[in-house]
Amino acid sequence: MGNIVAGQPGSVESEETLQYLTFTVLGELMAIGILDVKEIIEVGSMTRIPMTLDCIRGVINLRGNVVPVIDLRSRLADQPSVLSKRSCIVLVQVKVEEEYQTMGMLVDMVNEILEIPETDLQKAPDFGTDIDNEFIDKMARYHDEFIILLNIARVFSIDDLSATKVQQHLALDNLS
Amino acid sequence: MVDDMKLTFLQESEELLQQMEDALLAMEEAPDDEEHLNSVFRAMHTIKGAAGIFGYDFIVSFTHPVETVMDQVRSGNRSVDSDLVALLLECKDHTANLVQTVASDNEDNVPAELLENGCEILARLTGEGSENNSVKGATPSVAGASSPIEAEPQKATPNDNWVIALDFKQDALRNGLDPLSFIRYLQRLGEIVNIITFTHDMPAANEMDPETCYLSFRIALHSDSNKDEIESVFEFAVDDCDIRILPPHSKQITYLELLEDVEPESVQRLGDILVGIGAVTQQELEGALNEQEAIIDEAVANPEQKVKPLGEILVERNVVAKPVVEKALKKQEDNREKASRDAQYIRVDANRLGQLINLVGELVISNAAVKLMVDKYEIQEAQEVVAGVDNLVEDIRDHALQLRMVQIGDTFSRFRRVVRDVSKELNKDIKLVITGGEAELDKTVVEKINDPLTHLVRNSLDHGIESPEERLAKGKPAQGVLRLNALHDSGHIVIQIADDGAGLNVEKIRAKAEAIGLVKPDQVLSHRETLRLIFEPGLSTKTQASNLSGRGVGMDVVRRNIDALRGTVEVDSSVDKGTVVTIHLPLTLAIIDGFMVGVSGERYVIPLSMVEECVEIDNHQLDEQRSYVNLRGDVMPFLRLREFFDVPDDEVGDHSDRRESLVVVRFGRTKAGLVVDQLFGELQTVIKPLGKLFQGLKGISGATVLGSGDIALILDVQGVIGLASQRGGHKQGLVDHA
Repeated sequence: MGNIVAGQPGSVESEETLQYLTFTVLGELMAIGILDVKEIIEVGSMTRIPMTLDCIRGVINLRGNVVPVIDLRSRLADQPSVLSKRSCIVLVQVKVEEEYQTMGMLVDMVNEILEIPETDLQKAPDFGTDIDNEFIDKMARYHDEFIILLNIARVFSIDDLSATKVQQHLALDNLS
Repeated sequence: MVDDMKLTFLQESEELLQQMEDALLAMEEAPDDEEHLNSVFRAMHTIKGAAGIFGYDFIVSFTHPVETVMDQVRSGNRSVDSDLVALLLECKDHTANLVQTVASDNEDNVPAELLENGCEILARLTGEGSENNSVKGATPSVAGASSPIEAEPQKATPNDNWVIALDFKQDALRNGLDPLSFIRYLQRLGEIVNIITFTHDMPAANEMDPETCYLSFRIALHSDSNKDEIESVFEFAVDDCDIRILPPHSKQITYLELLEDVEPESVQRLGDILVGIGAVTQQELEGALNEQEAIIDEAVANPEQKVKPLGEILVERNVVAKPVVEKALKKQEDNREKASRDAQYIRVDANRLGQLINLVGELVISNAAVKLMVDKYEIQEAQEVVAGVDNLVEDIRDHALQLRMVQIGDTFSRFRRVVRDVSKELNKDIKLVITGGEAELDKTVVEKINDPLTHLVRNSLDHGIESPEERLAKGKPAQGVLRLNALHDSGHIVIQIADDGAGLNVEKIRAKAEAIGLVKPDQVLSHRETLRLIFEPGLSTKTQASNLSGRGVGMDVVRRNIDALRGTVEVDSSVDKGTVVTIHLPLTLAIIDGFMVGVSGERYVIPLSMVEECVEIDNHQLDEQRSYVNLRGDVMPFLRLREFFDVPDDEVGDHSDRRESLVVVRFGRTKAGLVVDQLFGELQTVIKPLGKLFQGLKGISGATVLGSGDIALILDVQGVIGLASQRGGHKQGLVDHA
């Protein structure tokens, strides 16, 4: 599959109606702005990186480049995804220290592209959702459903993800 | 377009200034080396010229006087001493500042302060020189005070005379020439030892025309003047007189010596060389060239006619001796060779090289894919072709990488200036000794090593080496020595910064580390471990911070920079003996030779240069409880990659009969064994960065794409050993047994 949208990712807030790519994780409908999406690919061969957090599923070979893939289910709810035929990797561009880096996120299923008017966006509730509030950017009302708009920057926070298991263990050791 | 040219000007100026600095610093040690002098002169001259083209008058007006001073030095009218070098270094810095104003597009508005500063430097430079200048001016130009030939003492032996042949043409008298006046004038240059007048052309008295000149003269002249000056006597007679000037015997030796010194700056033509050293005058050269031209014209008409080389003509015309010509020809050949060596350098955009190397990387991967296919389908015919392509690809890879290799010497020699300036500032006497500067490594690595190196060097200068008084009190020579050394070791470059200074105080480090909570008071640390603490953040034992170093933000940054290059840094020190900091760096960040191993379904690549050997072992040989093995009598720690990396098992059933292999890896002085399931053998490994996400990850240094399109991870052997040592005590017994 080629690029769905060519162009720079980034903030798109100025327009009234925006397009979102929706997908399913943990049985919930989630979405990210279409301009953040670089590509959607099937799940192929993936290489595990030892000593990293569980939510880092591994790295894939994207036309000769090594791209890390985050297991979204594991990242959001600490449950490893089980691969199915419908599993997909959504490649997004994330700004890391002034550079754009391509990263993948493993989702259970990709749905469709929706146009959601800005007026239908709401602030995330303080509690009540299955996933941590900090990962939610906004909630979008679409017909009778609510779609979670993910905070990409938070999901792909390098500070969180680059912690190694050793550090995690050490942190636990120190606590005990 | 103009911007492009400006960029070139800036780049070239920068390079020239760097060369100038290097040369100046070298001049301090060897003031008589002309090459350095020329280098400085060239830098000033070229910058002046280029600035002139761009109309940067403020640069021209500064560099011109400096060039003049350098010219005086070159001609021996001004001697090189440390004061002059210091001044010239200031000039270099000032020029760099001026060039900088151009770089910042500020050329129309040069700060007045800067210009004043320039005037002040120039005043000091020429002020000192003016005395010499006037002396030079007062010297009669005829005597040729600046002529190098003159410097050679001449003995008044009979055969030490110039022989001048004057064959006046018949019209000479009619044209108002008086041979006698020339001869008289010649006396001003030296002593006329003998004159023979040939009158054989003189016809019988009745046929003689009194207005025609029939006389030829052979004059033996004893003079210290050079050929040009002698010839200039006959300047007005050239048209009416054949003049040949033969040098005295001793002059020939001088010419030969001069040829020895002819600058290899550019390939000169034979004639130019001979004129340059004064063996032939311009007039003589032109005459010979005309003759040659005439012969060439003839040769065109008549192919039988052989064109004589210029040297032969000159010898035949008796203007120069044969050995001089031969020597000059040889010199010319040498210069040509050198020039062609210089011309072999091409300026290439670093990005293009980067692209090339990336492409070669892709080629390596594609080639591996082809190989895989051929193996899979057992295409016999293709095997040989693939093997051939494989060899070629390997060669291409090596050459492509070689393109980006640069010698570390240039990086090292930049520190000459740092050492010089800092030691003056601190009133210390420090000598910098550079060895192994020819060791090569990737340019991308060199660029990133500069900052950490600067920091380490400054540390040594500031904290390491003591003041001369302190040193003498300790019974050490007053002059401290800082050594920079580089060498290759198993696919790495090793850089050492060693000083013979005070050394690190282990107790102080320990105390400080305890104070900031880095170590617990009851923790036992070896000497080496304690020293390693200096790379932790917040540790500086210098009680007072200087403007150079000692603010405790240095060494951890150094280590971080080196970590980022997949290198390591070690320190060794003993009190009052000195400190040695050793940096290990990979030679390249692009493509390496790797050795692939398999653990369950996962594949890892170990840099081949770190693999010592592979030993096949039976499972029972490796005790589950112990983690060391007996390798031909030596105890060697090992670790199971499967456990170390928590590799999930992909095989079901009993593993007890699994055959494992022990890969012995070496890093520096540490050896260790890695237990793996499978050995896949050697592999050209294109290093792909893992990106920011895995920057802090120890044990894995990168990834590579295999022919199958899968990704294998590259083991960071030092990282693995380091991690294993950390986990040490309870889990793995890996120790640094250096």
